[in-house]
Amino acid sequence: MTLTLNHYLFVSGLLFAIGFAGVMLRRNIIIIFMCLELMLNAANLSLVAFSRFNLVNGLPNYNAQVLVFFIITVAAAEVAVGLAIIVALFRARQTTHVEDINSLKF
Amino acid sequence: MIPSLSLEITVLLLGILMLLVESFSRSDDKRGLAKMAIGILSALVGFSFFVDPASGNAFYAVDATAHFFKVLALLTTIVVLIMSLEYSSVLAKYLPGVTPGAGLGEFYSLPVFTCAGLMFMASAVDFLLIFVSLELVTISFYILVAYMRRHTASLEAGVKYLILGALSTGFLVYGITWIFGLTGETNLAAIQHALATKAVATTPLLFGLMLLLTGLGFKVAAVPFQLWVPDVYQGAPTPITAFLSVGSKAAGFVVLLRVLQPFLGVPGVGVKVLAVLALMAALTMLYGNLAALPQDNFKRLLAYSSIGHAGYLLVAVASVSDTKATFGSAGVAVAFYLAGYLLMTLLSFLVLIVVARHSRGDDILHFNGLAKRSPFLAFAMLTAMLSLAGVPFTAGFYGKLLVFAAAVQAGKFWLVGIGILTVAAGFYYYLRIVAAMYWQEPGDTTPITIAPLTRTAIGALTLAVFVFGICPQPILRQLKDGGVSAVQENAGKPPQSADGLRPWGV
Repeated sequence: MTLTLNHYLFVSGLLFAIGFAGVMLRRNIIIIFMCLELMLNAANLSLVAFSRFNLVNGLPNYNAQVLVFFIITVAAAEVAVGLAIIVALFRARQTTHVEDINSLKF
Repeated sequence: MIPSLSLEITVLLLGILMLLVESFSRSDDKRGLAKMAIGILSALVGFSFFVDPASGNAFYAVDATAHFFKVLALLTTIVVLIMSLEYSSVLAKYLPGVTPGAGLGEFYSLPVFTCAGLMFMASAVDFLLIFVSLELVTISFYILVAYMRRHTASLEAGVKYLILGALSTGFLVYGITWIFGLTGETNLAAIQHALATKAVATTPLLFGLMLLLTGLGFKVAAVPFQLWVPDVYQGAPTPITAFLSVGSKAAGFVVLLRVLQPFLGVPGVGVKVLAVLALMAALTMLYGNLAALPQDNFKRLLAYSSIGHAGYLLVAVASVSDTKATFGSAGVAVAFYLAGYLLMTLLSFLVLIVVARHSRGDDILHFNGLAKRSPFLAFAMLTAMLSLAGVPFTAGFYGKLLVFAAAVQAGKFWLVGIGILTVAAGFYYYLRIVAAMYWQEPGDTTPITIAPLTRTAIGALTLAVFVFGICPQPILRQLKDGGVSAVQENAGKPPQSADGLRPWGV
């Protein structure tokens, strides 16, 4: 069996769904944050797959691969800021559970 | 004539310079930094009229739309910096630091970076640049919202904004991925070319577009993606709430307009996307205006009102013609409405900051008897509220008129019906503030002092609200001349790599 584009897209969709389900269902902010990163990586996987399987003049479409590098960089910046905010919250409230974040009425 | 990109580069350099001064200066008083930034940004507003119209490229458009939104971004940032100066005493209370002024410099420099992101976004016509500039805006907002580290509400607002903002980024990126997979392009002009020349499967394209709309729906606070708005607006430092409600919305809508354009002409796609947008518009108007009715906290009330206004803007976007490739009157309506919304929202937040500092709270009851304490502030707030409600001779009225006219032109009469109903609901809660200011007795009768810079800004914004409402023609003419168009600049150029395109699933 050879791997086709559809296989990669299936795995990428699965990663995206796992990430989204995690964000919706898990209660720990750190885990939610990891699931968010999973969603971005799902996009990266399918971008690379699209680039590899849709050849332009016999070469992969490098636009997508450049976009992947930008997504990785932006995700890293997001993590740096995000973890800092979560640490600040932990110092103030001694918790990382979403149920405890309720001082503003929802 | 200067290259257009030099504006953004100057803003970025200004931000970096401010960070350096913040790190190395020994002085505790960082207000000079904000004042310098206000001066330089004002100068840039002037310079933006002298950009070279031919300095764009495939990633970066230089047109009337881009210029209009860049001026909006610069003006918003200037007013936000004035607000931050006014707010610095509150901020200092909630910041951990050895010296009283510690950390304030960063609070002045981060909005400058956000401004650079907003300006890049106004010109972005490639998904790569759209994504990176959107994230520059969003990530600096994460920091700003959670800035008051000793204030639990601010931290909680920051975490909520972080999670939902990152979620919306996830959707946006996944949507971009699918659109890239189908067309083989990230450039909007090239995508339009590819969609016109190649057969593209409709279902996956719609899937990608819906993911994209979800991501942008979070940014503009459209129902059902509005859950973060009230909490984040209430918890964030007030100048940042103002910046979020104006900047984030303007950015979301300019991207929405540019991104939608290539897809509108595609058979079986454009009509469906516009139907979804119309549904979102109706729900957003209803939710925003009805949920605002029982609110007692003024910031929270403005949050719901901002959701309602996103609804009116979406009405204009949904009224775009699905056959032509240009936006015409609907695009002009969006731009004019956003400009008016910016003026009145910034005005109400500016007054709120001054009043909240003197009354030590931002509930509606803190506005009781404001007309006796400061007739100037009360009149400014009256102007803002009348304009937000949509009373004739104000910017808000003319904006709503344009939006509803665009909807009538597109034959969407049911949207106009819902719109008029919700405007009536809006009158109730906006006039509650007016009633509190003019007909309630003040709890505390000390007169309110206003800094000269703030007084000038309040006066200028009040005047501008009336100018936009009474003689909007010059502004409209400028918008119509340029036309709101995404891909004018590159429409003639052939896309580089459309040859080896293989649509997925065919």
